Amino acid sequence: MRILSRSFWLLVSGTFLFPLYWMISISLKSKDEAYNNPFGIPRSWDWPNFKNALSQYHFFVYLENSTIYTAGTIVITLMAGSMLAYCLSRMQWKFSALALFYVSLGLIVPIEVVLIPLFQLLKLLHLKDSYLGLILPYSGFSIASCVLMLYAFLRSLPKELEEAACMDGANVYQTFFRIIFPIIMPALVTQCVLLFMRIWNEFPLAFIIASRDHFRPLTVGLLNFFVSVGVSDWGLIGASMLLSSLPTIIVYMVGNEKIEDALTAGAILK
Amino acid sequence: MNKYYSTKWSLLVFAVPALLLFTVFCVYPLLPEIWMSLHRNDGFRNLGFVGLDNFKDAFSSSSFWLAHRNTYLIVGISVLIGLPLSMMLALFMDAQTPWFRRIFKTSAMFPAILSVTVVSEMWVSFYDPNWGLFNSLLKSIGLGSWTHSWLTERRTVMPSIGLSFLWQYIGLNAMLFYAGIKTIPKNYFEAALIDGANFFKVSVKITIPLLQDIIKYVLILSTLGSMAFYSQVRVMTSGGPGDVSRTVVYQMYYTAFETSEFGKGTAIAVIFILECLLISFLIQRFVAREKLEF
Repeated sequence: MRILSRSFWLLVSGTFLFPLYWMISISLKSKDEAYNNPFGIPRSWDWPNFKNALSQYHFFVYLENSTIYTAGTIVITLMAGSMLAYCLSRMQWKFSALALFYVSLGLIVPIEVVLIPLFQLLKLLHLKDSYLGLILPYSGFSIASCVLMLYAFLRSLPKELEEAACMDGANVYQTFFRIIFPIIMPALVTQCVLLFMRIWNEFPLAFIIASRDHFRPLTVGLLNFFVSVGVSDWGLIGASMLLSSLPTIIVYMVGNEKIEDALTAGAILK
Repeated sequence: MNKYYSTKWSLLVFAVPALLLFTVFCVYPLLPEIWMSLHRNDGFRNLGFVGLDNFKDAFSSSSFWLAHRNTYLIVGISVLIGLPLSMMLALFMDAQTPWFRRIFKTSAMFPAILSVTVVSEMWVSFYDPNWGLFNSLLKSIGLGSWTHSWLTERRTVMPSIGLSFLWQYIGLNAMLFYAGIKTIPKNYFEAALIDGANFFKVSVKITIPLLQDIIKYVLILSTLGSMAFYSQVRVMTSGGPGDVSRTVVYQMYYTAFETSEFGKGTAIAVIFILECLLISFLIQRFVAREKLEF
């Protein structure tokens, strides 16, 4: 009985890991084999698909763009978000409760629904088809959850350290960057992981705003490659899919427990 | 001490960057959105005030209603089928040995970290009418008459897209539920087990009721997530055949960017924002209202 249920659940995990097998196996198949033997184990190990993918699919351009968008958003969101969270949790300010409520509204508005006016706004600011054209909206939409999480974290910290720093004559900026920043590092790492997962795989906004090939991230670039190749050459598509997924797969293999903690942190913390 | 924190300058420096970013890119666009929905606009020029005509047009178009049916079908699939399945996976995970749980967790989260483009393209290959996985399987077990051209037939296209979505996030939601199960003190279960309750009974009578906060959180997350369903449709069918698989967000994009009716597109957006607000209000109001402490 135990063996039976174990094997059933191993089968279930197998279906979750199937894409990995499928991408690897189809990327090793020639055009013909991809049709005749689409889901089996490849008969011969061939690498021409990868060579072709690297020459036709602008992998490194998209990889660079995805990296810039993700890193830019992480840096801006964490800096601005942690400063606001610090300000709301420590500084005496007439409107701080109001500001906290105002920022938390950001959790309700999905980015997709303001896309049309956002598109117009970015055109007006001459930010369409530029790196900032995606980084700034991404940051704006990430601020809410970042501030709320860091605010909860900071509220639970005692003020003694800062008081000591104050006695020693440090000003508020020194205190924040030298003392608070290292202490809230665990929460920042969690946010960093969450932002990476969200921005690296973001699709709807990038699809509209980064319309020029030169600025496309991996998600959009891959779709356009897929459309231009058509369904005629699955080996090539498989190779480009595997290349595009490699960064996330590597990150996942290195830090999957960290990712798991980060993804579930929001659920338990609330 | 208070004075130390709150010099006017430091307040400005700390509060303004985030508030500015949030206001300009997240809140401010709602104003032109409402304004545009009352005008005709082709994306370049404003062509005059038209009152509520854009809204009337939206309500009288059949695509708009079809898009709503599709969107709520996806919401239904992910909430009514996806969440119970995720809960089962989570309960199962809890009952396993750590080693087995580690393997199961690692694989369950894997689809959710892949990009939606990769996952959707893979499912396109599964649904291929000639050599796809589903039709090949059906043929090999002698059910050749059950084969479909899954993504181009009116009746199968939306459920097929829904299945790929379900598969991608079921493991992630299970992880969220499991994180909740871990926070329940062990003595709750021990007491029940001593009284002779079995796994099923413990789950239904103890675990699930104690998880109501997490259930609410996941419910809001997956409802709002599937309301904004768009990317999978864009990759797998481009809304086709015709307008059969368009969702509300897809219809909004299509109206604005492919027919250059920005006014009408924003009207759909305004209606949709109201729906999102209403639904999150309803969940907040009626699901799991009392706060649990343990």
